[in-house]
Amino acid sequence: MHVLEVQSLQKSYRSSGKVVEAVRDVSFSISAQEVLAFLGPNGAGKTTTIKMIAGLIVPDRGSVDIAGRDPHRNSRALRSLGAVLEGNRNIYWRLTPEENLEYFGVLRGLSGRVARQRARGLLDRFELSHKRKTTVQTLSRGMQQKLAIAVALIHEPQLLLLDEPTLGLDVEATQTVKQLVREIAQEGRAILLTTHQLDLAEELSDRVAIINKGKIVAQENTADLIRQFSGMVYQIELEEEINRSFLEVLGRERVANLQSLGAILDGDRIYVRETELLYQALEILNPLAIARIEKDQANLTDIFLKFIREEHHA
Amino acid sequence: MLELFIAQLKWSSIQYRRYASEAIGGVIALTATFYGLFLSASYIGGGGVQFGDRLDSVIVGYVLWSLVIFIMGGIPGTLQREAQVGTLEQLFISPFNATQILLFRAIGDLIIQTFLISIVLFVIMLTTGRWLSFSPALILPFISVVLGAYGIAFAAGGLALIFKSIQQLLGIFNFALLFLLTIPTESWSGTQKLLGWILPMTTGAGLLRDLMARSQSLNLSLLGLALANGLIYFAIGITLFRWAERETKRRGKLAGY
Ligand SMILES: Nc1ncnc2c1ncn2[C@@H]1O[C@H](COP(=O)(O)OP(=O)(O)OP(=O)(O)O)[C@@H](O)[C@H]1O
Ligand SMILES: [Mg+2]
Repeated sequence: MHVLEVQSLQKSYRSSGKVVEAVRDVSFSISAQEVLAFLGPNGAGKTTTIKMIAGLIVPDRGSVDIAGRDPHRNSRALRSLGAVLEGNRNIYWRLTPEENLEYFGVLRGLSGRVARQRARGLLDRFELSHKRKTTVQTLSRGMQQKLAIAVALIHEPQLLLLDEPTLGLDVEATQTVKQLVREIAQEGRAILLTTHQLDLAEELSDRVAIINKGKIVAQENTADLIRQFSGMVYQIELEEEINRSFLEVLGRERVANLQSLGAILDGDRIYVRETELLYQALEILNPLAIARIEKDQANLTDIFLKFIREEHHA
Repeated sequence: MLELFIAQLKWSSIQYRRYASEAIGGVIALTATFYGLFLSASYIGGGGVQFGDRLDSVIVGYVLWSLVIFIMGGIPGTLQREAQVGTLEQLFISPFNATQILLFRAIGDLIIQTFLISIVLFVIMLTTGRWLSFSPALILPFISVVLGAYGIAFAAGGLALIFKSIQQLLGIFNFALLFLLTIPTESWSGTQKLLGWILPMTTGAGLLRDLMARSQSLNLSLLGLALANGLIYFAIGITLFRWAERETKRRGKLAGY
């Protein structure tokens, strides 16, 4: 069952005479327990898409469906949605964490009593109980962001939108947010996450959608995407020998045999393209001492840049 | 609904209590004004709305005037402040519509403001030993004026969403208000009288003048007219605000400055 279904969303802005096509024909869906990383360079249209989902921007065309309801037609759809929007001020800095949670709880349709109960639970869970009576403006950036996420969860929505939730956080706070996102997805919620930290996206996401200039250019299971781009290249590194160069260690015959396999010798490494060829190469190298054999792994950053540049040339 | 109202009232009272230092300037100005009115009730010349020169009339006029200004600035003020601190969009992500949330917050603020005014008045009456008495009949025309004021506040809120900065415009509003609350439409006749009924808040203010200065009893048909006027302006204001909200969402400028 999809918690969120976005279909052919389209949005252009008119500003000072020019028309900016911010989002062009964007479609995707997210199921319960799934984290979709929504990636793209600055100005690609991520925030615009997120705000169309949250009912804050009216799309020119296309539809949004959150747990069976359209937020633009039926405001009850917003009961199923929590959002931490871009920027660091989703909560009242003049109120305490407890007051923020209780106020937003009622604003999202809870009774005061339930909001108070949930607030206490969330403060405990997010390790903010000791700060529950200090105003938010005196909290650290990391705590403020944790609270913003807690506030977005107060009404236990099925869908959570996180627009750059780790922006401006230090390493430790980023780790905390990462852990929280993982837990929240495991509880069964669907999460849409945008970030420019691609390592974070790689670790957290089940699927990625890459958007560039308003258009989705790739959408795939994260592990599959990485596997697909990693190809089948193996890297062999020999034990170093003092006083002898790499080529001397190998000897002319081995070099020729390796090259006939299609292997590439680069510096002091040998690259082989397929698993089958790897064993043949190893036979050729026998009995030389091997330090390391490694499968070349692409990471999300390489893949992301490849898609963005490809678009650029096209 | 009730839960939302209570939560809003709590929100407003926290803001006032925690930032008392900011509210204190207002309270001091209020106290000084009332004190001045009490001391010099017989020589009041300019300023405020005059309902005759009896002290209680002058006080009612001033309270009405200051509350209406407070109401009209409230909704655009909330929208501008919330956009600045970045919480505005979170108010719109709610199963309640934004109009309802804003109205409840505005009423919450009004209750607290009225409470402050009452305390200040009470303290002054206690210290000067001059006790005022107000007829409960004042409350209905008062409500008609307040309704009209909320209508204008929502219209101004709509402008604030679309144009973002409307301080100068609010200044003009306050000036127009002086005119609306003081023109003696009760002495107009013919088409002019009709115009008087159409102008916002004017009929209600005229009724208050009748009650206070002229000591007339409440004219029920005029009261009906005043309440209808208030309701219509309230509805127009809400409609304009809803339109502005939709238009702003179309332009993608809800939070944008
Ligand atoms: N209200 C607006 N009026 C006019 N143009 C806008 C408006 N909002 C966004 N844009 C433009 O639309 C495009 C998409 O912007 P958007 O904020 O959705 O990008 P983004 O992917 O979130 O970028 P970032 O990574 O910088 O946050 C940009 O070119 C931006 O300048
Ligand atoms: Mg953005």
